[in-house]
Amino acid sequence: MAQNISPEQSGAGGSSKHNDDSLPIKDNHAVSKRLHKELMNLMMANEKGISAFPDGENIFKWVGTIAGPINTVYSSQTYRLSLDFPNSYPYAAPVVKFLTPCFHPNVDLQGAICLDILKDKWSALYDVRTILLSIQSLLGEPNNESPLNAQAAMMWNDQNEYKKYLDAFYEKHKDT
Amino acid sequence: MASLEPTQNKTWDLSLYELQRKPQEIITDSTEIAVSPRSLHSELMCPICLDMLKKTMTTKECLHRFCSDCIVTALRSGNKECPTCRKKLVSKRSLRADPNFDLLISKIYPSREEYEASQEKIMAKFNPTQSQKALVNSINEGIKLQSQNRPQRFRTNKGGGGGGAAANNNGGGNASNSNRGVNAHDTASNDSNSNTNGNERESRDTSGATGAAAPAAPAATATTTPVSSSSSSSNATNTTTTTQAGTSGASTSSNRMQVDDASNPPSVRSTPSPVPSNSSSTKPKRAMSVMTSERSEESESDSQMDCRTEGDSNIDTEGEGNGELGINDEIELVFKPHPTEMSPDNQLIRALKDNCVRYIKTTANATVDHLSKYLAIRLTLDLGADLPEACRLLNFCIYVAPQPQQLVILNGNQTLHQVNDKFWKVNKPMEMYYSWKKT
Repeated sequence: MAQNISPEQSGAGGSSKHNDDSLPIKDNHAVSKRLHKELMNLMMANEKGISAFPDGENIFKWVGTIAGPINTVYSSQTYRLSLDFPNSYPYAAPVVKFLTPCFHPNVDLQGAICLDILKDKWSALYDVRTILLSIQSLLGEPNNESPLNAQAAMMWNDQNEYKKYLDAFYEKHKDT
Repeated sequence: MASLEPTQNKTWDLSLYELQRKPQEIITDSTEIAVSPRSLHSELMCPICLDMLKKTMTTKECLHRFCSDCIVTALRSGNKECPTCRKKLVSKRSLRADPNFDLLISKIYPSREEYEASQEKIMAKFNPTQSQKALVNSINEGIKLQSQNRPQRFRTNKGGGGGGAAANNNGGGNASNSNRGVNAHDTASNDSNSNTNGNERESRDTSGATGAAAPAAPAATATTTPVSSSSSSSNATNTTTTTQAGTSGASTSSNRMQVDDASNPPSVRSTPSPVPSNSSSTKPKRAMSVMTSERSEESESDSQMDCRTEGDSNIDTEGEGNGELGINDEIELVFKPHPTEMSPDNQLIRALKDNCVRYIKTTANATVDHLSKYLAIRLTLDLGADLPEACRLLNFCIYVAPQPQQLVILNGNQTLHQVNDKFWKVNKPMEMYYSWKKT
């Protein structure tokens, strides 16, 4: 269901949707306003290596891309990610997932990402730009202490081996 | 005494800069300091809602500012720390209201309603631009608008100055609403600047059409944004159009080029047209044309995303735009067809007729490449349907003639400033020639 329909409509139509407790309906507008502003800033900033754009008409769902950081095994790769913004954004983090398969200690095979700033270390000041930059740097500097992908965490120490595996991995997932 | 103890033990975590910094001296004379609307905006903005601060609250220890609503919601819904720096914020008591800051904002933006209304407008405008298709549409509309305005402007000038602005008033008129305070200030400082250069400007203004502009970016998807306003003096109504170029969404650095192109035949140029009270009309005009660049930057509020891109690159050159360098930073050019390679029976020259000589005023930072792209797009636009298919996507070589009969071909990456220093030197419009590269 589209979430950026006009406040009146959503108020009349859906009582099921307001699990965001105290936030009044008006705030839905505030959220889309903030997302619009982020979009404008992002387009202006022209950040190298990352980009993001709403996925279709729904401002609450974005697709972002990040380029693998240079001088890491991930360089030369480009990853697509989905960002799902809750109605309580920016007070709660968006749900961010890899759409492109990503073999990484902190990313599981479904694309879920383990990153503190998307969980308990979230701050209302983070935005799409900083999220994507954080994920980009996570690629090159995984946290092997709390792996989602244990195999990747184990292999990380041998970067040559890792790179080889990675290339084979991409070959296998070329079509997806 | 108990309260003293924690204060002494407190480490303030000051950065080296914070330890070294001294209070700024208070300015008591009439010195004016120009602040770009963008940096001003970032100071007055709440980092949570990205809007202007409303009922400012400041954290007591780290001195970060938020809207009251925003920070309260943030503390309620998340960690008990400063969203900006993660300093512990135990409760609302770690915050204090900052009425002085609210006063400051209301001084700069007297009408918040007006500001918010204009913000809403932008959002509404911005919404449809989400899809690529809408973007393309708006570009096309812009181009159409500009070509509609061109003949009108022409007539206006011949008729003697008045009455053109109304026709043109469809673009960024609302840009001025939100930032009126800042705006006025800029105008004033520019005005004084214009006095010194009054003569030069006058000759140009009387010559006719002011302000068409050049899409300078390579794969030019040019967005044209007509910016117009009527100046304060009653008889000096004028129209100014700025075209802003950028590859869609991504700005190719500061490829900004604001070109005033007087496409009148040379004879018109030297005869002052009967503009009533010439001197009074030129001054505001001077201010105006600087303001165009200023405005596109401040149109922060007015922006489609492409003009914001533009505004961005503007900031770098801002000092030159309205500061001490002023008009000296602009260069006037006369563009003529290459005498031998573009002979009068050339297909293109025949199509262009009188329009083959162009008068241009642009920033000295523009490069020869920019000019040739400008020419290609401008001529194509001018000719429209008349243009033979073979001439589309023109590619030009540009020459300068340091002496008569001696044409030097110019390298694409030189700036006009460099060309002028190297070949021209004399204080009159630089004569350049173009010929058409067949590719």
